[in-house]
Amino acid sequence: MTTVHVEGAWAPEPDYGPGSRTPDGIKMLAGLAGTRKRLNGCAAAAYAAMYANVDVITAYPIRPYTAIMMNLSQFIADGLLDAEYIVADGEHSQLSAAFGAGSCGARAFTGSSGVGVTYAYEMYSIISGARIPIQMSIADRTLDPPGDFGSEHTDALCTRDMGWLMGWAATPQEVFDKTLIAYAIGEDPRVLLPQMVVQDGYFVSHIAGEVEMPAAAQVDAYLPPYRLPFPLDPRNPVSHGPQIHPSQGPPLQLERARAMEDAIPVIRQKTDEFGAAFGRKYAHFIEEYMLEDADIALVISGGHAVTCRAAIRLLRERGIKVGMARLMWVRPFPSDDLRAALRGVKAVGVVETNLGLGGSTYGGILAPDVTTALYHAENRPLVTSFMAGLGGETVPAAEFDWMAGKLTQAIERGAVEKPAHWVGFED
Amino acid sequence: MAKEVIRQFLPLLEEEGRGAATDDSAGRDRHYLPDTPEEDPYQAGHRTCAGCGPAIEYRWVLKAAGQDTVVAGPTGCMYVANSTYLCTPYTVPWAHTPIASGGSFTSGMAAGYEALIRKGRHPGPYPNIITMSGDGSAADIGLGPISGALYRNHDALFICYDNECYANTGIQVSPTTPFGGMTTFTPFGKAIPEGTRLPPKNLARMMAEGHPHCYVATATVGYPVDLINKTRKGLNHRGAAFMHCFTPCQKGWVYQTSMTVEIGRRVVEAGLFPVWEYDPEERRYHYFHPPVQRPVTDYLAMQGRFGHMLAEHIATVQQQANRNWETIGMDVPAELRAGEDPEHHKRMRDESYSMPLNRGVGA
Repeated sequence: MTTVHVEGAWAPEPDYGPGSRTPDGIKMLAGLAGTRKRLNGCAAAAYAAMYANVDVITAYPIRPYTAIMMNLSQFIADGLLDAEYIVADGEHSQLSAAFGAGSCGARAFTGSSGVGVTYAYEMYSIISGARIPIQMSIADRTLDPPGDFGSEHTDALCTRDMGWLMGWAATPQEVFDKTLIAYAIGEDPRVLLPQMVVQDGYFVSHIAGEVEMPAAAQVDAYLPPYRLPFPLDPRNPVSHGPQIHPSQGPPLQLERARAMEDAIPVIRQKTDEFGAAFGRKYAHFIEEYMLEDADIALVISGGHAVTCRAAIRLLRERGIKVGMARLMWVRPFPSDDLRAALRGVKAVGVVETNLGLGGSTYGGILAPDVTTALYHAENRPLVTSFMAGLGGETVPAAEFDWMAGKLTQAIERGAVEKPAHWVGFED
Repeated sequence: MAKEVIRQFLPLLEEEGRGAATDDSAGRDRHYLPDTPEEDPYQAGHRTCAGCGPAIEYRWVLKAAGQDTVVAGPTGCMYVANSTYLCTPYTVPWAHTPIASGGSFTSGMAAGYEALIRKGRHPGPYPNIITMSGDGSAADIGLGPISGALYRNHDALFICYDNECYANTGIQVSPTTPFGGMTTFTPFGKAIPEGTRLPPKNLARMMAEGHPHCYVATATVGYPVDLINKTRKGLNHRGAAFMHCFTPCQKGWVYQTSMTVEIGRRVVEAGLFPVWEYDPEERRYHYFHPPVQRPVTDYLAMQGRFGHMLAEHIATVQQQANRNWETIGMDVPAELRAGEDPEHHKRMRDESYSMPLNRGVGA
């Protein structure tokens, strides 16, 4: 475990108590408990943030995540949520303000899309290095150029090595649940890391699905009031973020690297606890779909998994033994779980809805990680990747068919044709 | 139900007779009277230079604010010189922020405390929330975020400690570097004899004009009681306050280290840094009229960064000073008006003055 946790240094806090919700908020949540609401991904994230009783929200408009903040501002305007709502002067300020609030011990919620995510780039390493577990809700979007509203995972993936927990949600229900699960993991004193809960822009953020509404008490029990072990509090002064001597660098960086590894058991625990409390049991790291007897598998993350599952069912009807491994978390990268899930598979194709220009596959960002994980497998499968759904284009069942065909050919040939295929540009 | 947010009130010090650079009848410096607070939330244990102006400002500001205070320090010389891992000069909570985040991080702290107190998770009164940004941070890269914070009117005091250069990185030009002040990005040479060619941004004026609901003040380390009182007024003001504090940098400006406070007075007496308060209730400026008006050469000649200046450059600075005198409603004496003519001056190297001078040239 890392050493930042200072258990026992503090007198117990007074009760958070139900009084910290507004009377109208309590009434509203009581009415919602046990119902199903039809929400798109953005609204689902906003409802989850309200259930999480966040203290400070920092917003700046950019499509498509904007609707998350529009929903939250309405909750506050209607007196349903007691939170400070900062409309920042840009994403860098948006993340800085959430960081400042989190450093004082407030539960902070922020978000962005596309170039908004990259505009704030300086802040990611600083926030995770300071071990301030704020949450950023991203509805992903293609980076410029060209100007494009469509979904692509590149924006969030650009920040993948900055020390944030990061995972994609595939449905509005999953957005709602992951928002709560991610806070519970990040705020755990064994972890203390910021989290990115990412949903595909439009495919998830703007398409409605049914979302089960829990009781407020259920959420309060699963996600207790946030208590940072080292807040900026005049009662117990601390200095955050001083300068170091280079000789102090290696141990501090090692600690940051270990924090990611240390999060893995906590992710398992909090995912299981969520399943026990709310009845929706998620895979810790890898959603395994029809993998038991599969020869070929597609590794995927995010909302395209919904189409992928349907395509796999059609392919199975034609006798093709194909399965899917969906990454529930991209950071920390689940190397062990991925190897285990793909144990018997002969060929693996990574579906890249992102752009990794000039990388080792000359395709996307995920395949290098997947390949490294599988390199250490006992029966190493063939690995290739598929560039699909870029710029917000859909990935229809026909394209998954084509990918399965390429993987089948690779098994027949005993080698992959190339490390990255551009789907739709090749025969 | 939401809990009430209790605000602190900090009493002001008696200012009579201490607003200007005057000594008492016994010749003692009247700024240091015993009613200044004893506590020092900015303690020893930092590595600032001898004669550091920002260190003096930090000490007075935190003395004024007291212990129930939270401070953010964006990257700058006062980040690097003050904080050393496993050692800290602050007895109040302090956080480093990125250089552009002084305004935004502090907004978050203010919002955090509003929410935490309202929701029953912080028992005390609302703390004094202060950010101390350098001039590079406040006038350059972090200008937008501070403007955003002032616009949103968070209950916090945003301070720019202005040493007129990026000192941390080795004295580079910033938007508040004065005309003629050489820096390592604006050296003087045959083709550019003046060094810095641009007149400085008027940061405090921009903040006051652009955010008329805020308390805005300028101050210098030359007038400590004034600095304490303006800090407290800024903190007592319910909403955002901005203070622009002139803090000489002996490393960057090249002067004798004992002269920091003297330079902090002379800049006002030379008309180059008007000291004023902007009252958001009345929407008007209250200008401090110094008892002495000096030619700019009394100020310039103390500092090596101006040592290369030629007669026409000195005249340009005197023109700027005279416009400042007019702005704050003071008459420009004939001698100073005559100083607008280059014929009135020699090049700086050939001038001789009454004060201890640094005859070196450099930054």
